[in-house]
Formats: sequence, C-alpha cells, structure tokens
Amino acid sequence: MSAMAEPASFRARVAAAVADPRLAEAIARTTGTARRKRAAAVASWADFASARALGRDIKDHVIAHLGHYLALFERNARASGAEVHWARTAQEACDITVRICRAAGARRVTRAKSMLGEEIGLPHALREAGIERIETDLAEHIIQLAGERPSHIVWPALHKTREQVAELFRARHHDAARGADVAALVASARRELRAGFFAAEVGISGANFLIADSGAVCTVTNEGNAELTTTPPRVHIVTAGIEKLVPSTAHAMTLLRLLVRSATGAEVTQYTTFHCGPKRAGDPDGPEAFHIVLVDNGRTRMLAEGLREMLRCLRCGACLNHCVVFRTIGGHAYGGTYPGPMGAVLTPALDGLAANRDLPQACTLNGQCQEVCPVAIPLPKLLRGWRDRSWREGLEPATLRRSLALWRFCVLRPRLYRLAAGGAVRLVRMFARNGWIRRMPFAGGWTRDRDFPAPPARTFLEQYHRSSSARGERR
Amino acid sequence: MTAREAIFGAIGAAGERAVADEAAIAAAAAGLLARCAPTRPAQGAGTAREIFLRRLRSPALGASVAAVGRAAEVPDAVRRHLAAAGLAPVVALQPHPALRALDWSGFDVRPAIAIDETAAVGWAHGGIAETGSLVFRSGPDSPTLFAFLPLHHIVVVPARRIRPWLEDYATLEAGEAWPRNLTLVTGPSGTTDIEGRLVRGAHGPAHLHVLVLDEGG
Repeated sequence: MSAMAEPASFRARVAAAVADPRLAEAIARTTGTARRKRAAAVASWADFASARALGRDIKDHVIAHLGHYLALFERNARASGAEVHWARTAQEACDITVRICRAAGARRVTRAKSMLGEEIGLPHALREAGIERIETDLAEHIIQLAGERPSHIVWPALHKTREQVAELFRARHHDAARGADVAALVASARRELRAGFFAAEVGISGANFLIADSGAVCTVTNEGNAELTTTPPRVHIVTAGIEKLVPSTAHAMTLLRLLVRSATGAEVTQYTTFHCGPKRAGDPDGPEAFHIVLVDNGRTRMLAEGLREMLRCLRCGACLNHCVVFRTIGGHAYGGTYPGPMGAVLTPALDGLAANRDLPQACTLNGQCQEVCPVAIPLPKLLRGWRDRSWREGLEPATLRRSLALWRFCVLRPRLYRLAAGGAVRLVRMFARNGWIRRMPFAGGWTRDRDFPAPPARTFLEQYHRSSSARGERR
Repeated sequence: MTAREAIFGAIGAAGERAVADEAAIAAAAAGLLARCAPTRPAQGAGTAREIFLRRLRSPALGASVAAVGRAAEVPDAVRRHLAAAGLAPVVALQPHPALRALDWSGFDVRPAIAIDETAAVGWAHGGIAETGSLVFRSGPDSPTLFAFLPLHHIVVVPARRIRPWLEDYATLEAGEAWPRNLTLVTGPSGTTDIEGRLVRGAHGPAHLHVLVLDEGG
C-alpha cells in the first residue's frame, strides 16, 4: 500500500505520471543504461539466438511436464530436509508464511527482494501480523522507507532520483550520508542495514530457479543481501511460483546466462547461490529450518487459458526497459505488481480482466518486447489475446463499440468508405498549422499531450489512382 | 481437498497426463542439455587458468588477481595485498585446513569473523573460467557468511580446480552430496539500484582479491 493515495483509474495514473518531469528523468537514467549494456552483452555472444531458443525450449519442456517436475522437486527437497508447503492463492501463501514466522517466535524478519512476495502481498500480511519486516535489497529498502510500491521488477526504486533517495536517507537513517553522491548513499544503507541481518528470527527470500533433481532453490543478487538474509536467522522461508522449476542445476546455468545478460548486461550476477535444505551437522552457519512455499495463484489457470507461454518468464525486466509505453508512464501507472509488457499480460490474469482491460490496450504492438525477451515470449500475441477477450466479454466501452460498428458499416461499402475517408482527410487538414495539428474537436485525448501530424491532402487510393492514370496504366 | 491436490488437479485438467512417462521426460531433458554446449559464449584462446585470470582482470568484474606458486607463499601475498590497501595485517581465517596449516606469524588472526570484519582470507572449492567466478560449498571448513561479511575478501583458489564452464560445478562428483549452499562469487558486491549507477560494496565485500595457487598441478 502506498503512503500517497494513487488515482484509481489507469488513465488518471498515466496523466499524473506524464506530468512528472522528475519521473521521466529517473526512468531514462536507469532504462537507458540497461538497454545499452544488454545490447553490448548480446552483441558479444555469437550464438545468442540459439541459446535463446534453447532457453525457450527448456521452459516449455518444464511447463509441459509441470506436475512431474513439481512432484520430483517436492521429493528431493524433503529428502534434503526442507519442508514443502502448497498454496493455491496469495492468501494461503501469506497465511502459511505468517504461521511459520509465529511458530518460530519471530518478531522481526529480513526479506530479500522477491516479486512473488510482492504479488502475494506478503509485506502487508506481515504488518497485519505485527511482525517487523526489514527489506535488505537496497531498492526495496528505499521504497520501504518511502512507503511506496516497486515500479520495476529488477530496479524497484527506478522512479526515485538520487536527490530523492538522499532526502529520504537524511530523514530516516541513523548515520546518513551528506549530499546526493550515489556511493555515499549506498554506504549509508550498508551501515543502516548491517545489524538488521543478525537481528531477525526468520529470513524470507524468493527463488529465481527451483531445481527439480536436487530440491535446491537458486537466488541471484548483486548485493549479497540474499545470503545475508537467509543464513543468520534460525529459519529460512522461500516463497516461489510453481513455474520457476528447471530439471537440473545444469539447465539453470543456460537460463542464468540469458537472465543476467537480459536484465543488467552482466555475464552473471555477483552472487548465485543454490540453497539445499537446512544447515548440515557441523556447519558453522545456516538456518536450522528451511521452508519452501510453492504458490499457484493463477498459474494453473494460465496453463488452461492460453497463457502457457507467459509461464516461461524469467522476470529479467528487458521488456520493461525497451517498452515505449513503460518508459513514458513508469511502473506505478500500471497499478499491478508487474508493470510493462509482461505486467500487461500478467495483471489481467492475476487480478482480473475487468479491472485491468486498459493494460493490454496501452501498447503500440511494436514488438520490441518479444524481440528482447530471452525466452521469446510472444507478448504482442498475448496482449492481442486479452484485447480479443475483452471485446468478446463486452468489457469495452459503448462509445468504442458504436464507433467500431460505424466503421464496420462503412468499410463493408467501399464507395461509402472512400467518400467518407476523402471527406475526413480534408476536414482534419483544416485544423493543421505548418503540418501539425495541435488541437482538434473530439481529439483532445490525443492532442493534450502531443501533436498530431497532418495527413496528406489526398487519401492513399486517390493518390494511387492519380499516379496510375498519369502513367497510363489500366485501372 | 488439500491445496496440493487442487494444484495437481488443475495441472491435469490443463492437459498433463497424470502418470508421467519418466524415461521419456528424462531423455527430453538430457536432449536439451546436450544442445547447451554449442550455444555458450566464446571464451577466447588459452587454458581454463589463463581465461580465469583474464576474466578476473577485466574492469567489468572489479576484482584483482595474482598467481602464487606455493601455498607457503600465501601469507606473504596476503600481507602485501593488505599493506597496498593501507590495512594492518589483521584477518579472519576461513576454518579450512589448508589455510590453517600455513604460517600466519606476524598476523593478528581473529578468533571468529565479525559482522563488520575488515579483511578475511578464504579458500574456494573451485573456479569457473567462463565468468571468473569462485565456487564455495558450505560446510564445516567453509561457512557461507565468510564470503559476505568482510569488506576485503582475499580468496585462494587452487589452479587445478579451475574449470571452463558454469555447468562444470553444476553436477555432483563421486561421493559428494549437495551442501546447504553452493555459492558462485563473481567479483565484489555491487548495486545499480540508484539511477542504474554501479557502486561496489553494497552489502557484501567491496574488494575481492583472488590468489590462484599453482602448487599441486
């Protein structure tokens, strides 16, 4: 939940986002770097295309045999000493997690960033249960202090400029940095969070991969906060979506190469850890109990309802960084846990289409997201699928339905259509000044934030017929 | 109906057969793995040891590396590295027998690692040339937190344990079981969480120095 009330409608959130010049600057700074670094990493990988096809096929293989791999993972995880729990819904997942925390006598938990945790509303559930939560990922720490939601799945505090972070730390850190130097801000967070790692009874992480043949859970971070979160407390809880499975550690490595290059442009994250069971006899550190909460929350429904390909998603964020819409409106405007193209596909599946029918519409279908996706998810196709369903379920507004019915009527009568199109072009050009339309009746939704290029003086067919007859061709 | 039954029921309703043909699935998974090797990024020429050194020297990784001929030379190499960083010879030693067997006279060896330890000396299970990664397997002689608490982490890795690819430490060797933690450490800790700018030393070590030990093949 946000400290500031967010507007209820997508359109209002978009309007607020595009009116904020600081947001535009913050988005441009991080996504620009991410795009440059990803492009360089992919360009230096000669066989990226076949690796990507392999990544796609590994995920498709697991999704085709999801039940088999889940059972195998469960068996191996139990054999390693882990306790495996199953949750159909977000509520069940939170209830299980809170119950384990209470049984461990936890008053305080540390948490390493997990989008699944955000999806199921775990921060809220812990607060309701009166359990103090310490977010250890730097970006999650920033938005926890600010009382905000993540705006990006890899850089949750992407919407904050360094000046805003500096202001926040000055107000909330015990030994805050002076100025807005990024290195000093990172050092300030390091000092602030250090003792917290050792003051928690439970550490909670997500999972980047669930390894079926060992029962291990893989986390990747650059900061090292996952291991500092999952090692000192007595209990480690993993919350993970059931689609995170891979057959073996070796399969995970192929996906790891794709994931990290697509996310940050690095070859591998600084810290990649496979957590298998609780601490062993003789281990100097590690938790005494290890719980894995496997969460469905709509994933089996996606299997059944034509969204199987979306379960490939590695959560790298490349589709966000390359999306013209995300880069214009930022993550909060989407309203759900997951923003950008992958969010526009997932949010209607997780939170219902009726309340989120705007998301699949807010897309130019330019195909960039699919092109940069490391597992080749056909995001434009899935977004069109939601548009189609929204139409069939009657969720599109009456004005749109009437306009389209009128258009259909015309387009089925070519003479009428040509007459109307020719008239429309001439009418619209009356509002043009120097080739651009800055204001036009009934087009305020477009011209309020941008100009519209004036159309040519004649329609395509008029120009075609004219040039054909000039060349003496037969019509 | 339990949550578990409901989830498996929904998967079955979406088209997956209730009784899996395990041999066929295993064969398909092995077939996918066989496709992996040709797709891996090129490494350039050289032995795994040479490629590992090159990766660790690349500025993008942000680490430093030196070669050491014999294990007995490790304490001197550590002393020189600390002195160059302007640090006193105070270290926490990973409880690895090969490290403990060395002569640390002249050092203040801490009895245990502190949560804000300045310098620690570690012993890696192996190295990965592809990425310049160090491999740690948690156990009595390799606590997980040793790679995360110090500000300066100095790690010895035997050259013969450097393997070419990430997959090379992804399978168990004879007699091995998975440890609680298998950790790959690639360069010092970093974050790009503020405006995408890279800063070292976010939570883990800000400095990583690797000593490649050639003794023993």
